[in-house]
Amino acid sequence: MHLGKLFSMRKVSLAAVSLETPVPAGDAKWVGLRMLLALTLSCLAFTAPSVPFLLALTVVNLALLWYLGNGQISLRRELKAFVWQTLVILVLYLIRFQDLGGLWGGFKISWQLFLALLPSMVFVRSTSQTRIVQALNRIMPCRMAFVLSTCLKFAPQLLAEVRSIYEGQVLRGARILPRDLVKPWHWLDLLHCVVVPAVVQCMALAGNIALAARARDFGSQPKRTCWPGL
Amino acid sequence: MGVILRLKKFSFTYPEVKTPVLQDLDLEIEAGRCYCLTGPTGSGKTTLALALKGLLCAGKHEGEIYMPSVTDSTPMAVGMVLQDPEVQLLTSSVGAEVAFGLENLCVDPADMPERVVSALQAVGLEKPLDYPVDKLSMGQKYRLLIAALLVMKPLLLILDEPGAQLDPEGLELLRECLRRLKQDGVSIILCEHRPDSLLSEIDTFLQLDGSGRLAEGRYQGEKFAPSSPPFSAITEKETVLRVQDLSFIGVGDQPVWSQVAFTVDRGRRFSVTGMNGTGKTTLLRCLAGFLSPQQGEIEILGGAPDAYRLRGRLGCLFQNPQKQIFENTVGEEIAFPLKRFGLLNGTVEERVAEALAACGISHLIEQSPHKLSYGQKHLVALASVLAPRPELLLLDDPLAGLDDDHSRAVMELLVHYNVQHGTTMLWTFHDPDAWPGWADQVLHLEGGRLAPR
Repeated sequence: MHLGKLFSMRKVSLAAVSLETPVPAGDAKWVGLRMLLALTLSCLAFTAPSVPFLLALTVVNLALLWYLGNGQISLRRELKAFVWQTLVILVLYLIRFQDLGGLWGGFKISWQLFLALLPSMVFVRSTSQTRIVQALNRIMPCRMAFVLSTCLKFAPQLLAEVRSIYEGQVLRGARILPRDLVKPWHWLDLLHCVVVPAVVQCMALAGNIALAARARDFGSQPKRTCWPGL
Repeated sequence: MGVILRLKKFSFTYPEVKTPVLQDLDLEIEAGRCYCLTGPTGSGKTTLALALKGLLCAGKHEGEIYMPSVTDSTPMAVGMVLQDPEVQLLTSSVGAEVAFGLENLCVDPADMPERVVSALQAVGLEKPLDYPVDKLSMGQKYRLLIAALLVMKPLLLILDEPGAQLDPEGLELLRECLRRLKQDGVSIILCEHRPDSLLSEIDTFLQLDGSGRLAEGRYQGEKFAPSSPPFSAITEKETVLRVQDLSFIGVGDQPVWSQVAFTVDRGRRFSVTGMNGTGKTTLLRCLAGFLSPQQGEIEILGGAPDAYRLRGRLGCLFQNPQKQIFENTVGEEIAFPLKRFGLLNGTVEERVAEALAACGISHLIEQSPHKLSYGQKHLVALASVLAPRPELLLLDDPLAGLDDDHSRAVMELLVHYNVQHGTTMLWTFHDPDAWPGWADQVLHLEGGRLAPR
């Protein structure tokens, strides 16, 4: 075998990647701190005792968003989801309390939920997957760190799969458009036509990802090393 | 050249299945040769590839596989690129992706960058190591996956359906890459339905004929002439779809395509071709009303694209339609849209029987659709979209993953509904030369522009 030819070595200059230390410890610590901060902010959103506290938390989140994202992260999609979520919760509160006085409570719950999810979204969007794995490797077994970071990476693809199933079923006649779902008896269609195939698809995707990882010898050794770059 | 891998009387049976998918296979793989494994969908090509890589878990196997021993200079005997590149890219940057295998082999991080760069050079992909994987084209992603295996120095490289993912330029670069690998003594197995584009590098053809047996030679399937389909059913000129000056901006404010304009008349067959990532699916989603273009107008079936209004009149078969299947029997799966559109029971039964017969799967009516083969599931999904007889049918790469026989069955079925029921068809293909003459008009999407071909 003459694999040597294929892997002829040459001097490599990698300006963007620091190769002095195998794993940049400072970076991993900084990523770990950001992760901890995101978790803390999420917990605080759930336990927020008052409206002024929620307002202050919102300001902190927005400042963090600006700082970590260098002003590049758009929240358009998240805000759209927040509006929908709030509308659904308000309708449910109206049904439950049959009184407009319950609406404020519903809005507060929606606000808290949004603030609980926002820090994690900002963290994931502003941190490279490699850095997340490097940070997680310090606090958990390397296999678990890989699984966790892979879940984060493939979340958008999973959502795209669910969206594709949803759109296909709408045109097959399933009563699952927002205006259909106003009638609760149409919710069964959502369960049968979207949730069931989506779960099957999720399992298939998970299986394919696991196979792809094993095809590159993931799990062949009890430990893993870590790529030093981004 | 010496033998690097040997199969002796190897058989494999999947759980809960009586018939083995692979039966008494004898095979020798020599160093530096390129083999092409052919056969119809479901004949066991991927199963054999997984067996050679040692990735088959559940199931019963007999016989023996002799693999090369793993050493420090050859840490991985067999490398395998699976079908869908998107689910195999496990990290976010080019460098990290290639280094993934080295991480698993516990290679010292200080040694990684040089090996990663060498592997990227070997496949002709010279991108910065921190370059985002998401920004690569499909062809670049495929070569990145090959680099991610080469870095682990395999003796045998298995590529599952590379032709389905690559455009002509990507295939040319893959050919060069395979040539260099062979020169360097690496053996290659291509599992491929349509190997014509890689013929120059293939030394030996092998075929699995569907009975589980392996023989030398290329699987041909049934002979048929793909030309001269019946004319489309044009009764009178009536525009069912008009698209004017359409532009769509994607993620990161990047234009996907712009100034797209075309019209489709009732009863016509219309084809949009374009490579992976050119925005064909995005275009279909805009036409169905699921995405809003930033500029331009769409008039579909006499109005604006609104899924609520179009339900029952517009049919849509998105990629991998098997994933929409959820009912317990094939009959129920096909009846579902008919019931939702309010058809009477008698009509539902009649339409189900008609769709099943047209697809040639009447015998499957009581079977669970979840347990069918890939090709059969595809036909069930198509039958459920055709049964309501939509006025306009959008099909996103309807032949993806199908062998020649199943592809022909699907194309004939589409033409049958077009001629018999006047269904207007708009289908997309990634191969610009696929099925010449089967559409009344072909438009090609490239560089963000749609133009006649």
